[in-house]
Amino acid sequence: MFLRNYWYVAASESDIGRKPFARTILGEPIVLFRTEDGTPVAFEDRCAHRHLPLSMGKVVGDRLQCHYHGLQYDRAGQCVRIPGQELIPPSAKVKTYPVVERYRWLWIWMGDPALADPARITDFHWLDDPGWGAKSSYLYVKANWQLVVDNLLDLTHLAFVHETTIGNAALAEHAIVKVTRAPNNVVVTRWIIDQPAPPTFVKVGGFTGNVDRWQIVDFVPPAFLRLDVGATPTGTGAPEGKRVGGINMRNLNAITPETEKTSHYFWGQAHDFDVKNTALTQKIFEQIETAFHEDVAVFSAQQRNLDLIPNPPQVDINADTGVIQARRILDRLYDEEQAALHATAAE
Amino acid sequence: MQGSDGWHRVAALAELIADAPFPAKLGGTPIALYRVGDRVYALDDVCTHELALLSQGFVEGGAVECPLHGARFDIATGRCLAPPATENLRVYEVRVEGDEIFVRAS
Repeated sequence: MFLRNYWYVAASESDIGRKPFARTILGEPIVLFRTEDGTPVAFEDRCAHRHLPLSMGKVVGDRLQCHYHGLQYDRAGQCVRIPGQELIPPSAKVKTYPVVERYRWLWIWMGDPALADPARITDFHWLDDPGWGAKSSYLYVKANWQLVVDNLLDLTHLAFVHETTIGNAALAEHAIVKVTRAPNNVVVTRWIIDQPAPPTFVKVGGFTGNVDRWQIVDFVPPAFLRLDVGATPTGTGAPEGKRVGGINMRNLNAITPETEKTSHYFWGQAHDFDVKNTALTQKIFEQIETAFHEDVAVFSAQQRNLDLIPNPPQVDINADTGVIQARRILDRLYDEEQAALHATAAE
Repeated sequence: MQGSDGWHRVAALAELIADAPFPAKLGGTPIALYRVGDRVYALDDVCTHELALLSQGFVEGGAVECPLHGARFDIATGRCLAPPATENLRVYEVRVEGDEIFVRAS
């Protein structure tokens, strides 16, 4: 199940240069490169002639040249040169995709190009806001994208998967949880009051006593999860909105389906204290990266079981409220998108 | 606290927020309290479909929706309004005295 009329993260800004960069997104092969003035462009990664990935070719000026028979495509995807042939068939063109650079990521629109409004790009300003120190990265996930969404909407798993970094027992056992929902949004708010800080928080925040910890997960379809996370010494007023003497961070996640069974996982970590301290940014990043590698191992193991036993029965537990509400939104949006497509096709 | 007439004090009125279920216990039984307008209602907290706590659900339009599978129940009567549940929820008698809420099995 893919939702198409959305902006997805295709790549990190720095991944794309003058060499063609291949990436499969929503099951479609895509090639990205920059023109001479630095503008990013995205094509279907398949020559209109004999289907070789254009990413095997090279960029010549503002054109992409196929490695096989040398056909050249301009930035609009139109073939403008066929070696040894003067006239060019109008059908010699490749599909192009709208792309926008924002938040140090390159975003791609996978649906109807007429609907590609950059104002709809989900806000991830923490990644390039001077008021925050941030570092982002990429993980390749051998699992369906919704397993990653599920993971971030139920943070009780931190107590078990990430006990050496961001998790501890208190987090699963003593959280006050509230789930709120809107038509296209789920927010899971978790407060863990007067409990020990997990290892990462001790390392980064220097806590010596118990803390009040918050985890506020903001889900936006199809697969954007922005986590407001942090802790302050217990009893200093964080639940009432007074965040002082502790650490305040954002864990930022954008998942882009590659296929039904594989995903591109773009993520970043931002902090609003000591923002110029790149060593601190790196230290925080490495803690979260360790945890995320643990998650990636979980996702691929889940997917292996789901491949062996498709659609197995499953038990839902209290902690699944956010997961289930998000899946319900995604199912509804998919149905709406498919109905609109069929309506258009019937016209 | 249990009176000889079967009433149990289960919560303070001030603990209840409008449209947010409040979990409580009646003896050993998990119940959920609801404040709708100026009235307080008490119903079983466990959904009649599968084990899910309705006190973690969503209150909308005088009904509570199960957080897990979407069954809906009328808060005033316990009547099941939407699948996958089919059975009504048990409703308890409620008495408010000052700031105290008392409940008893009817």
